[in-house]
Amino acid sequence: MEKNQNPGFKDQDFGQSKELFYYYQDGGNYDKKVGFHPESDAVILQQAWDLFKERIEAARKKVIDGETSPVVYYMEKNLLDPLNLSMMAGISIWRVKRHFKPRVFQRLNEKTLEKYATAFNITIDQLKKVE
Amino acid sequence: MIIPDMMSTETNIIKYNHRQAGHCESGATSNLFAFNGLEISEPMAFGIGNGLFFSYLPFLKLQFAPMITFRNFPNMVFRKGTEYLGVDATVRKSIKDPKEAMKALDENIMKGIPTGLQVGVFKLTFFPPEYRMHYNMHNLVVFGKEGNNYHVSDTVMETPQIISYEDLVQVRYAKGAFAPKGKMYWINSIVPDPDFKTAIKKGIKRTVYDMIKIPFPLVGVKGIRWLAGDVKKWQKKLGNDKASFYLGQILRMAEEFGTGGAGYRYIFGSFLQEAGVMLSNDGLLETSDMMGKTANKWREFTYLGARNCKDRSKPEEDYGMLSNMLREIANDEEKVYRKLDKIII
Repeated sequence: MEKNQNPGFKDQDFGQSKELFYYYQDGGNYDKKVGFHPESDAVILQQAWDLFKERIEAARKKVIDGETSPVVYYMEKNLLDPLNLSMMAGISIWRVKRHFKPRVFQRLNEKTLEKYATAFNITIDQLKKVE
Repeated sequence: MIIPDMMSTETNIIKYNHRQAGHCESGATSNLFAFNGLEISEPMAFGIGNGLFFSYLPFLKLQFAPMITFRNFPNMVFRKGTEYLGVDATVRKSIKDPKEAMKALDENIMKGIPTGLQVGVFKLTFFPPEYRMHYNMHNLVVFGKEGNNYHVSDTVMETPQIISYEDLVQVRYAKGAFAPKGKMYWINSIVPDPDFKTAIKKGIKRTVYDMIKIPFPLVGVKGIRWLAGDVKKWQKKLGNDKASFYLGQILRMAEEFGTGGAGYRYIFGSFLQEAGVMLSNDGLLETSDMMGKTANKWREFTYLGARNCKDRSKPEEDYGMLSNMLREIANDEEKVYRKLDKIII
């Protein structure tokens, strides 16, 4: 796929693939056309993107300051919330939330760390610190 | 990591016609039907398979915003579509062992049966980045195998794609809400002349039931009204930024995620038109016109909503206006379903 073909989404990574859309004209004819997303959608996509980035950055700062554990950072990076993370890692939600505390996280055993590492698709060494 | 076994060296690519579609599952269903010799369009599969729905679940969060769906449960279109048209199909709901699931898929491919799969989107390698989310109700059809790679027809994409064995296992066993658990489905055989009239009748009846007759406030037309009420309150309750983000997420749900636009309303209207022409029924044609106008209103709603997200100057008025618009849409849709309820096919 060539980059940035869509004039409505100039400087963005997304919105570059063509999809099928349906249309209706008054008078009774349905029509379908393959095309890019309309330009108005760029705003809402960008908004969601910005929010995710903001959350990841905030989490990274908190981890560096020692307020939360790296689990939070990787959770945000994978666009997860605690409930989804608990389902993916197979750890109950209240334990997941407890592991957000740095003190608790440091005492975790290998088995639990391994579960998180598989869920985030990284190694245990990576899990112990933020990038 | 799961290591592919001896089967993986075999190669077979089935001649399968990939057609792009608005909605992943009805597109896959329509393509599978076409492969077996029955030409039905995507809207037809969607309508008969009872794909249209609406529900607003504020207590469930998807990507930090309330969950809104415009469609029915996963696999509904294929299951109902084949049931109503009297097609012999197999659905394997869950397979515990990934290795066994891949082996079953391989066997199907070697026999020359294109097989539909339910997959998670997050780790799907060929997908555009805007779809990177934990959404597990996506559908695609595998139609070929070449060494370690599978040929995949994903109706959201323009062309067929290739995915490796390891990646396919990952997406088939994605975890989280509505986990696919290796679900697979395929068509065994099709009766040459299916009874379209009864199928259409059943499909419409169920859709009408789902949209106006379920005695629960958050689904169907009542769900749209509830959402309209909440949209008005968001700004005061959550502040400007969060309200704008919530609104943006609704619009994404309606326009972005493989809906064919306006949350499947265009596809359903198109189905009504096709059915009206096929059965030469004026009532259906009339409702198709009404549905098309409602769908245009949805699109206008998303357009104005997006503008609101961009420029938050007079949001209080705007949220009120958007809420009124949603209410109007709900009224219009209810009229369509009430009319459909009375039509004798």
